[in-house]
Amino acid sequence: MISNTVIETIKKIVGDENVLTSKEERLCYAYDSTPNAFLPDLVVRPGSTEEVQSIVRLANEHRFPLIPRGTGTGLSGGSLPVKGGVVMDLTRMDKILEIDEENLVAVVEAGVITYKLQEEVEARGLFYPPDPGSLKTSTIGGNVAENAGGPRAFKYGVTRDYVLGLEVVTPQGEIVSVGGKTVKSVTGYDLIRLYTGSEGTLGIITKIYLRLIPKPEAKKTMMVSFPRLDDAARSVTEIIKRGIIPVTLEIMDDRTIQCVENYKQMGLPLDVEAILIIEVDGPRVLLDDQAKQIAELCQSNGAQQVSIAETDEEREKIWAARRAVSAAVVQIKPTKISEDIAVPRMAIPEMVRRLKEIAKRYQLDLVIFGHAGDGNLHPNILCDQRDQDEMQRVEKAIGELFKAAVELGGTLSGEHGIGTMKAPYLKLEMGEAGYDVMMRIKKALDPNNILNPGKIFWSENNG
Amino acid sequence: MDKQTIKEYLNRCSKCGGCMAACPLFGETRMEPLVARGKLFLIKNYLDGNLDLSKKMKELMSLCLLCKACTDQCPNSIPVDQLVLSIRQEIAQHKGISFVKKNIFQHFLQNNGRLNTAAKMAYLYQRSGLQWLVRKSGVLGLLGGDLAKKEKLLPEMAKVPFRSQLPQLISLSNPQMRVAYYTGCVTNYVFPNTGHAVVNILKNHSLEVVIPEQWCCGIPALASGDEASAVELAKKNIKAFQEAGVDYIITDCASCGSMLHEYGDLIGGSDARFFADKVVDLSQFLAEVVDFVPGDKEIGCEVTYHDPCHLNRGQGVREAPRKLIKSLPGVVFREMKEADRCCGAAGSFNLTYYDLANKVGHRKVCNIKDSGASVVATECPSCIMQIGHLLAMEQVPVEVTHLAELISKSYKE
Repeated sequence: MISNTVIETIKKIVGDENVLTSKEERLCYAYDSTPNAFLPDLVVRPGSTEEVQSIVRLANEHRFPLIPRGTGTGLSGGSLPVKGGVVMDLTRMDKILEIDEENLVAVVEAGVITYKLQEEVEARGLFYPPDPGSLKTSTIGGNVAENAGGPRAFKYGVTRDYVLGLEVVTPQGEIVSVGGKTVKSVTGYDLIRLYTGSEGTLGIITKIYLRLIPKPEAKKTMMVSFPRLDDAARSVTEIIKRGIIPVTLEIMDDRTIQCVENYKQMGLPLDVEAILIIEVDGPRVLLDDQAKQIAELCQSNGAQQVSIAETDEEREKIWAARRAVSAAVVQIKPTKISEDIAVPRMAIPEMVRRLKEIAKRYQLDLVIFGHAGDGNLHPNILCDQRDQDEMQRVEKAIGELFKAAVELGGTLSGEHGIGTMKAPYLKLEMGEAGYDVMMRIKKALDPNNILNPGKIFWSENNG
Repeated sequence: MDKQTIKEYLNRCSKCGGCMAACPLFGETRMEPLVARGKLFLIKNYLDGNLDLSKKMKELMSLCLLCKACTDQCPNSIPVDQLVLSIRQEIAQHKGISFVKKNIFQHFLQNNGRLNTAAKMAYLYQRSGLQWLVRKSGVLGLLGGDLAKKEKLLPEMAKVPFRSQLPQLISLSNPQMRVAYYTGCVTNYVFPNTGHAVVNILKNHSLEVVIPEQWCCGIPALASGDEASAVELAKKNIKAFQEAGVDYIITDCASCGSMLHEYGDLIGGSDARFFADKVVDLSQFLAEVVDFVPGDKEIGCEVTYHDPCHLNRGQGVREAPRKLIKSLPGVVFREMKEADRCCGAAGSFNLTYYDLANKVGHRKVCNIKDSGASVVATECPSCIMQIGHLLAMEQVPVEVTHLAELISKSYKE
């Protein structure tokens, strides 16, 4: 619990209106986009780096947990106050400080909404590619802390590929600035990469320098159905080998297709194992030819049907099928456990087979969709949180699916982060030694274990 | 809505946060308790016995525009406004509603005589010089808060209510059909010109108009959790319009219209459903039921359109008003950005939460300004008051008008 004296001090730092104490308001910061919730003792909404610093120092002095948070749309439990303490909502720090069109750099505060930044830079003919599913509501600070990805990652990379510099308040209350507007910098350890994806456990990110690129002129979209999953995977590889790098290569398995078709009759084929949604972007003059080549490659690799969008409406129709997935799948069961393993691209068919086998063994409803270009799959288990027996089976199945991913040379998380959801499985991938290196970094930087305790590491002595 | 249904809906919320992108209140405040995801979680905690109907809970549940933007965005189409209304009703039942509101819903709104007297007193306050004196003296400023500014939101009352200016039946020699007109309180007491414009348009389409004695639609009571008063009003209106013997009941107010459509679900039974099925918004009626013919008098202006939440999302009417505007002689239509985003009026929300409503409305004003239009048309008197208030305050030279008044201008006097 936080003492009244501390609450009064916090109120003096940020102002009364930016401290939420009622149970009702605190409950609204107890959750994220996972099914879990933990009531924080207090919610504070700082307006500047200095205010963040003062609160971090206070946390060290009085040893209370501090949980940085953007808009709470994470899917790994990263912003859940599992040990209580103070949730620090950074959404008031939402200024785009600079869009440097000459050096192609944007400087933003942590609470800027990702989509807002994209709108602003695109109005200037520039492009910030990372596009996590929640980009219309997520914050850049949250994206950096979780190293968020998105469908465009295969061609354009993930958030960390765009972070040029950071301002971070360390767990002991110092303000650190690393990097800046230069694309190259090898000065010292690569602290930018250390902080990016650190899930709020090593520092509170307050300001970010982001690399921008020119906006691609046009895009072209197509939908291809495959009676056999292996043919879909092989087609993806053939396309890339041909020198064409599509911006998105979304895959939906048979069960996902059925769900979408049941929910909204879109005329999707129900007799195929996979559908690929392929989009290429770049100079307009190149796209027709690229689309033609992709169509030919898919056809010679066993595609059943190829439809290329010639108009905006047709393009919209293709993406509508993909967008309908999240609503369609919860029609089966209300709770959706969304995983995000990644495997080497050619292991996708084997991974899908293993996932289906696991789901069958535990009698669970499973749909698989994801990003075929980078092997990042989202197996979604559909269940009902109120059914305890089912939830136990879900837990066992998740353990097995992580094991399968690692066996195939893959990873626990492609873009959601470890948080609390995957913490118990971390050693499976990192091994004891790797885990130990991470733990020593955490202890060195945050000796009092103030920042976001209970995340990433799953151990008795932490928290 | 019964508890089981509420629980089923709550269980569908995956807390994805999609509502945050749509919610005008979240957009301005970034406060999680103000967005659908937060509210649904609070309602769930209340139903699970983990929260009381505290003062804080009442405040947070009143901080909703009921604009339905979140539902539109929700992958599971959760009817958030209905759930918020249910909990407001629960709060009203357990904790009661304020003395003032109770009096208004249970006495004034149920009695047109008293309502007319109140409107007359407001008119006298404005015309007798008392309003001038009050504003000049600064006494409202002394009372603290935003009272001085809020007082300006109080619209100028009509000297004689619209319905008292016309007979109940406006007969024509060779009518094509007879329709009924539900005027709504604001048209009746504040904007009689809107009422005259509606009648003028209908007459120009050879329609005989009947305006029966009628009552408030009940939405102010329902929005405050007083369902019983809303039901009483609904019953009175259903009976009044039954006697009119028409196939269409035309509304000029988005909020009234959406409420009248709800009568079937509110009180059930075939009479209520029969009534609700006859209700049609003016622009939808003109665009889809009759063969709309505008007058040939050049209007000569650039017009943008604001979608009232209760017309667009509430009744699914989006294209009809645009189609009508585009067909008017000498009118250039300019679509504004975020035309369907709430203006912040939301019934009396702008009185209770004046500053917050203005922040929401400021975004609307910016979008209106950016459209380049000189006139903004809409179909909700409550939106008209809010947008008009903000345009005046921000000194933006754009005129706000009811769509009916714009259309009516095209006919020769």
